[in-house]
Amino acid sequence: MGESNQQQVPLKEGFWTSGTPDGGPRLIGSRCTNCGEVYFPKKPKGWCLHCQQQTLEEILLSPRGRISAVTVVRQPPAGGFYHGPVPYAYGLVDLSDGLRLVSQITADDLDSIPVGGEAELVIKPLYQDPEGREIMTFMFTPVA
Amino acid sequence: MKNLNEMREVYVAGIGLTQWGFFEQQECYDFGSEAIFKALADAEMGWNDIQAAFCGSVYQGTASGHQAIKEVGLTGIPVINVENACSSGSSSLRLAYLMVAAEIYDVVLALGMEKMPRGPIPSTAFRPWELASGFNIQVGNYALETVEYMRETGVTEEDLARVTVKNRKNGAMNPNARFQKPVSLEDVMASRMVAEPLRLLHCCPLADGAAAAVVCSKNKLKSLSRAVKIAASVITSGVYGDGMPAAGIASSLQFPPEVGILELSAQQAYQVSGYGPEDIDIVQGYDTTVPSELWGMEKLGFCKKGEAAGLLRDGKFDLDGDLPVNTDGGLMSRGHPLGATGLGQICELVTQLRDEAGARQVKKARVGLAHAMGAGPNSSVTILTR
Ligand SMILES: [Zn+2]
Repeated sequence: MGESNQQQVPLKEGFWTSGTPDGGPRLIGSRCTNCGEVYFPKKPKGWCLHCQQQTLEEILLSPRGRISAVTVVRQPPAGGFYHGPVPYAYGLVDLSDGLRLVSQITADDLDSIPVGGEAELVIKPLYQDPEGREIMTFMFTPVA
Repeated sequence: MKNLNEMREVYVAGIGLTQWGFFEQQECYDFGSEAIFKALADAEMGWNDIQAAFCGSVYQGTASGHQAIKEVGLTGIPVINVENACSSGSSSLRLAYLMVAAEIYDVVLALGMEKMPRGPIPSTAFRPWELASGFNIQVGNYALETVEYMRETGVTEEDLARVTVKNRKNGAMNPNARFQKPVSLEDVMASRMVAEPLRLLHCCPLADGAAAAVVCSKNKLKSLSRAVKIAASVITSGVYGDGMPAAGIASSLQFPPEVGILELSAQQAYQVSGYGPEDIDIVQGYDTTVPSELWGMEKLGFCKKGEAAGLLRDGKFDLDGDLPVNTDGGLMSRGHPLGATGLGQICELVTQLRDEAGARQVKKARVGLAHAMGAGPNSSVTILTR
């Protein structure tokens, strides 16, 4: 990401970290020290909905998962809140931490994203804001 | 909690339904007041008989029910506005029902109405970052559920299309529906893809419109012969672990629920009413996209998971089948004015149970069930009987 001269701004602060020992980006989530349930995004109040206790600790989520469902959206969502490209793919990704999350799926060919296939986390520009800054977000991309 | 079985009986005395469609020259209070006038006339009552009003809508803003009621009468009664996403209308009905059952009031109005916003729709059903990420496209969210459902059950795109064909055929006999033209299997399969595997004709159209019901105790009924009893009116919200992308919730892999939100609402409705799925003669299902009618029938307990498509193919859910579903054309034909939809379903059940549905009348309908759900999430189940 260092090559870009453009200013890059995360869609939301605190969703991922790029400074991990293995170098790659990781999503920041929460795990319950009592039941083991995992949440994304991180729950700021540390409250486990499953246990009904304040038992969550911050964790870095696995950057790998399996795509359990995917769809390609061919019209813009209503409301004018979405400024990314259309069509776009998004789906459910099951992380090995035991968490299913909703994520955009990025691929060269949106029509051949394999359901059941492995995917890995990437941080990519979603759109450019009126000031010309790149708004970055997390996505998953299929790995061969 | 009080046992609803031990409280007094509650009846729908009158219903009012407007034409559903797109009406540039009318405002929500125009449809809303029209539905109220119709429901009062049908109940053979006047506004002075109404002791409280619950008004469901989603996008109508501050005190919108008051705006409709201002056209009908000013009698100082409590008017409460109810926003509960696509279950707003059925939530109004539940509140009216509880008030009468608990003997707080004898005659209460339930209203549902919507004029769909023409410009950008502010959504509080998703977090701002989810909106910016493109997760608030409901067809896409239902598509994700559909992908999983098709994989688990073997249901095909053609099976989905058959739901549309059935509902649009029924809708052709409903003068209040937005779309009154049947479509063929080929029309559905050739319609443009919105979000794989859902095509345009797998998705319900939006609409403007209103529906109302006058709910009362037995002693206030003007006509017992046309009255329909509310056997259950239930609403549930999210259950831990139960995934519903349309409500921004992915399921828990580690702690899946024993009973999901939809099954819970059905269980409670069966328990309160004393009826089971085998007693139901007619269903108004939630076909916001057509697969949700199929899995809805399964989760409501009418058949096992994966069986609904086969029963549909066999004609069981047709007007002349054993268990007609969406006899008025459902959301697919009626259109979906969010806050009015739940009460629109009630209007159809009452019409059928009274034997007043004309060309689309089903035979021997004595017990009817309506199901609606939506963002929140919410799931509502109403059982009516004659
Ligand atoms: Zn926990």
